[in-house]
Amino acid sequence: MIHDALLVLWDCTRVNEMLQIEPTLYANQGDPEIYSRICAISRSHHKIQNFIAATSFNYRKTHTGAKTFGLYGQALSEGITEILQSYKKTLLEVESLIIGNTDYTLSFVYSYVEKFQGLFNTINRIITTIKERRLTGCQILSLTHQHILNGNEVVHNAIVRIFSCINTVFVNQLCTWLLYGELRDPYEEFFIYRSKKDDHSDTFLSSPSTINTCDKTLVTTLQQTPLDCGYNLNPSMIPHFMPLSLAQEILFIGKTVILFGFDPRKVKRNTCITLNRPLLPLHKLDNDSRRFTIWEEKEAEFHEKLQKLKDPEIFEVCNLRCVVREIKECVTKHLWTVAVEEAQLLHELRLMKDFYLLGRGELFLELLRLTAHMLDKPTTRTSTRDMNHAFQLAARAVFLSNSADIEKFSFELPYVKPNLSANSTLDDDSSTVADGWSTIILKYDFKWPLHLLFAPEVLARYNDMFRLLLRIKKTQHDLHALWKTYKQSRRFAMCQLHNKLMFLMDNLQHYLQADVLETNFSRLMETVNKTNDFEKLKKAHATFLADILSQSFLTVTSPSENESAGDAADSINNPVFVNIMELLKLCDSFCSMSEFASDKDAEDYYIKGYSDRFNKLVKQLTQLLVSLRERACGAFLARLLMRLDYNRWLSAEAELTRSLTHMLRC
Amino acid sequence: MPSEMITLQLGQCGNQIGFEFWKQLCIEHGISPEGILEEFASAGSDRKDVFFYQADDDHYIPRAVLLDLEPRVIHTIMNSPYAKLYNPENVYLSKHGGGAGNNWASGYAQGEKLNEEVFDIINREADGSDNLEGFVLCHSIAGGTGSGMGSYILEHLSDRFPKKLVQTYSVFPNLDEISDVVVQPYNSLLTLKRLTESADCVMVLDNTALNRIASDRLHIQNPSFAQINTLVSTIMSASTATLRYPSYMNNDLISLVAPLIPTPRLHFLMTGYTPLTADHELNTIRKTTVLDVMQRLLQPKNMMVSLSPDRTNQHCYISILNIIQGEVDPSQVHKSLQRIRERKLASFIPWGPASIQVALSRRSPYVHASHKVSGLLLANHTNISSLFDRCLQQFDKLRKREAFLEVFRKEPMFKESLEEFDESRSVVDDLVQEYQAAATPDYVHWNPGNFYT
Repeated sequence: MIHDALLVLWDCTRVNEMLQIEPTLYANQGDPEIYSRICAISRSHHKIQNFIAATSFNYRKTHTGAKTFGLYGQALSEGITEILQSYKKTLLEVESLIIGNTDYTLSFVYSYVEKFQGLFNTINRIITTIKERRLTGCQILSLTHQHILNGNEVVHNAIVRIFSCINTVFVNQLCTWLLYGELRDPYEEFFIYRSKKDDHSDTFLSSPSTINTCDKTLVTTLQQTPLDCGYNLNPSMIPHFMPLSLAQEILFIGKTVILFGFDPRKVKRNTCITLNRPLLPLHKLDNDSRRFTIWEEKEAEFHEKLQKLKDPEIFEVCNLRCVVREIKECVTKHLWTVAVEEAQLLHELRLMKDFYLLGRGELFLELLRLTAHMLDKPTTRTSTRDMNHAFQLAARAVFLSNSADIEKFSFELPYVKPNLSANSTLDDDSSTVADGWSTIILKYDFKWPLHLLFAPEVLARYNDMFRLLLRIKKTQHDLHALWKTYKQSRRFAMCQLHNKLMFLMDNLQHYLQADVLETNFSRLMETVNKTNDFEKLKKAHATFLADILSQSFLTVTSPSENESAGDAADSINNPVFVNIMELLKLCDSFCSMSEFASDKDAEDYYIKGYSDRFNKLVKQLTQLLVSLRERACGAFLARLLMRLDYNRWLSAEAELTRSLTHMLRC
Repeated sequence: MPSEMITLQLGQCGNQIGFEFWKQLCIEHGISPEGILEEFASAGSDRKDVFFYQADDDHYIPRAVLLDLEPRVIHTIMNSPYAKLYNPENVYLSKHGGGAGNNWASGYAQGEKLNEEVFDIINREADGSDNLEGFVLCHSIAGGTGSGMGSYILEHLSDRFPKKLVQTYSVFPNLDEISDVVVQPYNSLLTLKRLTESADCVMVLDNTALNRIASDRLHIQNPSFAQINTLVSTIMSASTATLRYPSYMNNDLISLVAPLIPTPRLHFLMTGYTPLTADHELNTIRKTTVLDVMQRLLQPKNMMVSLSPDRTNQHCYISILNIIQGEVDPSQVHKSLQRIRERKLASFIPWGPASIQVALSRRSPYVHASHKVSGLLLANHTNISSLFDRCLQQFDKLRKREAFLEVFRKEPMFKESLEEFDESRSVVDDLVQEYQAAATPDYVHWNPGNFYT
């Protein structure tokens, strides 16, 4: 009978048979009960054995076609096998004892194997869960980790050991990913995967702004510039003990490491010799060899630290995070070196300001002189070429043409077939045909790692800003051009109207350039100069862009109202922006009016029309302050209005209510 | 190069301040007195070409025309280290060299006589530029050449170049001391008429105020011409800073001038500058926030024009532009504007929109600046009428006595009658009236002597 029990425990009898062949002879009264308990343990063990048989390395060797269980499953079964060793050892011990002394009872045997009941149950629970939920890869790791906390010390220790087996696989994968950007993951078990389909959408520049979010999320959208090497997080695979942020950091590090591997300058070094920064050959060699090893001498250190994590005692989230942080710091610093020192990021940022934000006023003034007539009309097929030609001419006129920087910028005027735009559902009465002002795109050819900063989305936003600024500059320039004419005219009313419009444009420009751009840009530069962490730099840049957009009223404040507009060409529906655009249209039409109004009555009529419209729009603008008071852009509208209403004339003229006037004053 | 400016220097005073101006520009752009770009300045991104052009041998040559009827000042310039800077073809001295005898009428008549030769030079210079924006005329209104010949050139510049801007730096005589030019009030008034009618923008440089600043603020007992002219060249270089350094706005003269001058005739601008310190007190530490600079610029003691005290307190600013140079935190601009508005430190016209515009400009990297921040104020203020009013009073004093009229009667313009005097007087009187009216809300309906129809 005891031998029966041992045989059962050794898993020598087939379970099904075992259930039937029940020994009829029991030495003691409680023996059937004990025997059945032993059988239960044996059944658990049997299940585990089955699992191991199905997943182990040997099994896979013989059944090549069978559904594989992956590295983690394998590690699990190996871990379990290891645990079972102690069980087998115990059985051996019991066996030898029984052989030595036949007096031992069944309960003696049971006393030895009893302690395995809990362990087997737990392992079986793990196995069933895995089977039921079809868990793979990191999910197994996660599941095992969940079972570590167990009151039973034996179970606890055993699970820890199993976990450490699986963890070895995990840490190895993590290590190759973090340090070399390699994904050694043949069964897609890691929480990072390579997306197979590469959806490259290069139509970014013309895409209208579709940020239907508030300002805070704008920062994050602008910050999430994808490193498009096709790696992504697999959310279902992220172990439960790992916070999403940590997983993202890990993803980032690997991607960055891959990025350094893709350095285009290494591939075609001969073709992109930087003209403006001659390097001595020796120095260059130095640079390159450095770039091959991002880690420099730290590689071994990090490797060791990661390997230490295999020890389950050390594998704590906080430790993992510490190591990841450390590595990330190293990566971002390296990125900073590459971006800031080698790609001259600060210089590029200034270029962005000089060109996208019209920092080089004289260049754009000259460009406007050459191209204003062209941009007034709908774009034609040759517009892009003409525009770029004019840009070169303008650059030559202001003695910029020999600078390498100018080559980085070019214009594009997307040609839209006129009948297409006529069919669009816009409810604008006549101006559906897009002119150059609303479609012009300034393109920027930046140096290699800076696409991290100047992602398509970012450049699209810069273009929004650029179009607004260019439009204002053009209108302002047109109004200034009329100054001499009106100076010689003797019509005071006309002068006054012209003066009002000019005042508006000048102050709008002053507001945008000084209060918004200069202020934020100096803040950006301050942050950039202080940090040597690329991520911080990126964040500062995203904040900068988000701030200037919202302060220039270029964001969508209420997405719900915008739903019907759909894919309209201009979906920036900030009421302030709409109002400013109306004022710009008014000024433009005033400028063209002066060419045909000849007799006095017609002039009076027009003056009245324009003055009324001007007053109405300005009044609207001030009234918007009330509705936007709670919003962030309300404060900036107040700043703009402070400039416009500096001598409190506009508020008096617009006959505002007292409360509004009060708001303007403070 | 777009937006070029041609400088015309007329007469003794005009050539002196012009000379100082070019010296200053050369220093600021790193150009040697011979016109060669210094090595340290070769990488500069400044816009030298607004005021200079490059000859075939890479020399920088000022777009300047030097005119005088007597040789003294031009000879001084031509014997200075800067002699080779100028294009010798642009230096014009009348052949007889006798000057205009401090007589406006003589200067005017000679201008007429020499007009072919003078305008040949100006035309040639204008043809040499791609996109000429306008002329800067440096002269004094009190003497003979600058005032008389200047008046003639002013009248004909707007005929010949109707689309170009004409800006003048006009030096007003020192009324605190007795002038050796007895007919100075006549000269001034006759010139003022042309400045009112033919110039687009007049930068008033008042010798009275400049001398006062030199003695009171800079503690110079008897300020020399050179010391006064340093003040002038500082103002001239600062007021053109945004044209000469690439920046986001005020890239051309019109964008500086147009916002300042909302109505046709009220185009007399006064200037203010801070900090004003003499060489020996350079090391005094001053607070240099934007607000400080902007507040100081609004104080009368820093103004380069001596205005009569505004007893009725009615006068106000028509417009203000501050050009601030140096290390400035741009976020301070808004705060400063707000503070000034709250404290009502500047009162503005009641009949239209007006504000303080602030342009931040770079400074020359080649000039050691003793102050972190410096500021220039360009303002259109209605009280400038008090300056013209004083000119009128002085004129009336002489005219009542019919003093010194014979020198004018010698010239053809006044041979028949002295109508020109009366006409000029009424133009200047209208100007004073208009400035006074501009301080009131009724200016919108102002209609003197059917000026506005």
